[in-house]
Amino acid sequence: MVTITIDGTEVQVPAGELLIKAAEDSGTYIPRFCWHRRMNPVGMCRMCLVEVEGPRGIMLTPSCTMPVNDGMVVHTKSPTVEKAQEGVLEFLLLNHPLDCPVCDKGGECPLQDQTLSHGPGESRMVEEKRHYEKPIPISDLVLLDRERCILCARCVRFSEEISGDPLIEFMDRGNAAEVNTFPDEPFASYFSGNTVQICPVGALTASAYRFRARPWDLREVASVNPLTTTGDGVTVQASQNEVLRFLGVDNDATNHGWLDDRSRFGFEWIASPDRLATPLAKSGDGHTEVSWGEALGAAAENLSAVIEAHGPGAVAAIGGARGTNEDAYALASFMRSSVGSPNLDARLDDGLGTHLLSSLAGKGEIGDLETARTVLVWAADLKEEHPVLYLRVRRAAQELGATLITVHPTATGLADRATHTVTYRPGEGHDLLDRLRAGSGDLADVRAALDEGPVVAIVGRTGLAEDPALAEAVTAFARDLPQASVLPVVRRANTYGAIDMGVAPDLLPGRVAAGGDAGHTGWEKADTSVGLDTRGILEAAADGRVKALLLVGADPLRDVPDADLAARALDAVDVVISIDCFLTDSTAKADIVLPALGFTEKEGTVTNLEGRVMKVNRIVSGPGQARADWSIIDDLAARMGRPLGFESAEAISLAIAEHAPAYGGITWFLLDWKERDGVVAPRDGVEQPLQYIPTTSLRAVGSGGAKRGGFALHLGRLLYDDAVLTRQGASIADLAPGAYAVLNPTDADRIGANGHVEVDGHRLPLRRDASLAEGTVAVPFNQPDGPPLGGSSHVDVAPGAGA
Amino acid sequence: MSEQQDLFTAVANMWKGFRVTFRQMRKPRVTTQYPKEFREKPQRFHGRHVLNRYDDGMEKCIGCELCAGVCPAKCIYVRGADNPIDDPVSPGERYGYVYEINMLRCIFCALCVEACPTEAITMTHLFEMSTTNRQDAIYTKDELLVQPDGTPNHMFDEDHLADFGELAAADGWMRATSPQGRADFSGVPGWTPSAGVGLRPAEQGQSGTEPEGEDA
Repeated sequence: MVTITIDGTEVQVPAGELLIKAAEDSGTYIPRFCWHRRMNPVGMCRMCLVEVEGPRGIMLTPSCTMPVNDGMVVHTKSPTVEKAQEGVLEFLLLNHPLDCPVCDKGGECPLQDQTLSHGPGESRMVEEKRHYEKPIPISDLVLLDRERCILCARCVRFSEEISGDPLIEFMDRGNAAEVNTFPDEPFASYFSGNTVQICPVGALTASAYRFRARPWDLREVASVNPLTTTGDGVTVQASQNEVLRFLGVDNDATNHGWLDDRSRFGFEWIASPDRLATPLAKSGDGHTEVSWGEALGAAAENLSAVIEAHGPGAVAAIGGARGTNEDAYALASFMRSSVGSPNLDARLDDGLGTHLLSSLAGKGEIGDLETARTVLVWAADLKEEHPVLYLRVRRAAQELGATLITVHPTATGLADRATHTVTYRPGEGHDLLDRLRAGSGDLADVRAALDEGPVVAIVGRTGLAEDPALAEAVTAFARDLPQASVLPVVRRANTYGAIDMGVAPDLLPGRVAAGGDAGHTGWEKADTSVGLDTRGILEAAADGRVKALLLVGADPLRDVPDADLAARALDAVDVVISIDCFLTDSTAKADIVLPALGFTEKEGTVTNLEGRVMKVNRIVSGPGQARADWSIIDDLAARMGRPLGFESAEAISLAIAEHAPAYGGITWFLLDWKERDGVVAPRDGVEQPLQYIPTTSLRAVGSGGAKRGGFALHLGRLLYDDAVLTRQGASIADLAPGAYAVLNPTDADRIGANGHVEVDGHRLPLRRDASLAEGTVAVPFNQPDGPPLGGSSHVDVAPGAGA
Repeated sequence: MSEQQDLFTAVANMWKGFRVTFRQMRKPRVTTQYPKEFREKPQRFHGRHVLNRYDDGMEKCIGCELCAGVCPAKCIYVRGADNPIDDPVSPGERYGYVYEINMLRCIFCALCVEACPTEAITMTHLFEMSTTNRQDAIYTKDELLVQPDGTPNHMFDEDHLADFGELAAADGWMRATSPQGRADFSGVPGWTPSAGVGLRPAEQGQSGTEPEGEDA
């Protein structure tokens, strides 16, 4: 710490801190346009000029490029500084069109605000301002108005420093300088929406928000991004009971203010006209609208009949990851206590072991990346599945100098920053791990890098055709690395929260292993044994052992990799009851459909991949008669004569704090008022009953069923796919690239493929990628009109006819 | 007290009382036979709003919502939309596709007129706005937007209750301040021509100084 004097007041600030940041943190706001807390300084806008007393007298200095020194004396409000600020603003406004009334930034514009507070009041500019065509779409989501740009380089620096796809740049010089994309190359970044948020003028605007509202129309509430598992802080803004915008909030622990475009623009499903608004009952091929009483009565009757005839084990539940922890706790209580069945799972056969995900001993935090010397990513392509985590890893490698190692069947989005890019053929991961552990051959360098701690290992399933046990083995290996912290990652929304709440076959609420002591649960009568997971449930349903299926925000026909199995299961069961926001493919087969509220329509908590519990809030009312999941489940339980007695979501949260051991002491009050960035469960002083330590000896056979062909299948997800919430958002629905097949050029030439290939008989456009391991074919999962390939780990690839 | 005195007092008191009456009898009458006759209203009378058009028929409103933002009674609801390129509604990128004023809430303060950056909303001398249900008191663009020739729509044009001679007085000269609120601009018209009205001369005497040679 050093002592500096700002405007006559002595303050203590960290040594080496930039003056503008040190001043802001100690209470003096210095106006700025180009400087951003999360990016490197550039000193372009000159707005942050302050007077610094030095050996050569008092000098005007840009405070964003000046580190503090002990004894520094700074004046931020002297007449000279004010005159400089007026001059800078007059310059910045020379070519600024002042079309504020039609500008989406008007009302929340730093240029407007600072012109009012620091500006000269009038301009001496009488000449014609420069004009450009306006606005020009530079991508599907972002519009550029070059007249308004003040050349602060925030967008340019963001795409270079933060997101790593430098697709927007300055061109020309002097008066003709402008920011633009490269010719014929759109601003097709997964993170383009962030540039809209950080643009200090209205030069970059979002097409989804174009002219939808003015800032003074908007109500806002703090919440958490519902589409990823990283727990990104967001501000949800709504007007006239419609959500219009998501803004990233700078949550130090998770997202640093950034959001990916799918999350930022993916709110449009909330107001989709296809939302379910009334309960539906099956009649003939379709559904008819019925009252809540009729729907719940019929559902309760059907479930009771199945329980009576076939026992409670014949009822199973899939889903629960799309709701809040309170919803998940109600579902777990309903299944284990009211129904008495242990067959429930929040994963859709696309996850990892529940013990690994929720209860790993010594699980890491995202913040560990800030101090890591080595980062190992043996997981899905983070850019596609965990975009914000991707940015954090990128920052560790690019800005903080960590050694980055990626292990994946192909080069990932991190390839340009990875020190070591290791590729392997899916199915050969265990052998690769053995070689890595031994440090043999070309992996000696990688092994040496892993011995330098602190190590952060991000572990997950590289693809859906991959054996989930591999991640356990990798975790076991990574845990023994020096100062290791391991983050097991899966993609879907609140999967971690749902599993922590016991929506898992082998866990009870609060990270307690099923099958053991269940005294804490508070359930009078419950089946606390180990039940079937999603795959087991679907197989049992197809065999006729499970007779009733409760789908809670789950669409197995699309989300489960083995779509064929899901279809057989849904056809075979007697009763399907679905609680969902949309009539999905699976919901359309349900006997009773109960409309549920979605995010931004209900309060609750969610848990991110670190185990961080965060509060989500309500800002709009739901469509029609839709109700919260917990309330539907509570009513259903009461009608079955086995009431749960939940009165409100907050009452459930208190029950969680009492009966879920790892969540002890985590209340809404704490999250609303004290820990706004969330709190990692378990809190200090609270015991987590299950401390899971994976063993390296696990070596299951690949989950993906039979080996059908000669090519190993890599089934990865892309950011934009055909998932229901993406499909329902108008802005992002068309961004899914569609299905294709990737082959290594060697393989493609060997089989003589050109243009198209047939993968297990499905004709797909061929892409070539030399980084893909040989003998592998990569196909993105769940793309529009994509082939159902999830049932196997190996496929046949043949050259496409007519190529 | 004698009877004569009583009588005198009574007559004196009657005179006192009727004096006002008799004096008024000799003065001209101020009562107008509304609705048969109309009184001339003050120049800056705050009557009903209109949304103006430019000379070429384009709407002046750009849907910026500044009127809604400034409205102290929160009676204005505006939503903007992208201006169709093939068939533009207003000259800019954006136009007001929803414009509603709840006349039951409006307090006729004319802050919306002051806030408007394009002189799209102004106040007229129209004042007859009684309705038989609340829904009709919410004026939408159908009622507020003037005809292409600049004539305001009026709810009672069938009944001939309005003085249509006054309808031409529906333009921005009603603003409460001189264009920039500064003496330098006294005498300089700060608004754009409107359909049916053209460019009105600048108001005089706002700033206390009369325009000098070249301005006048």
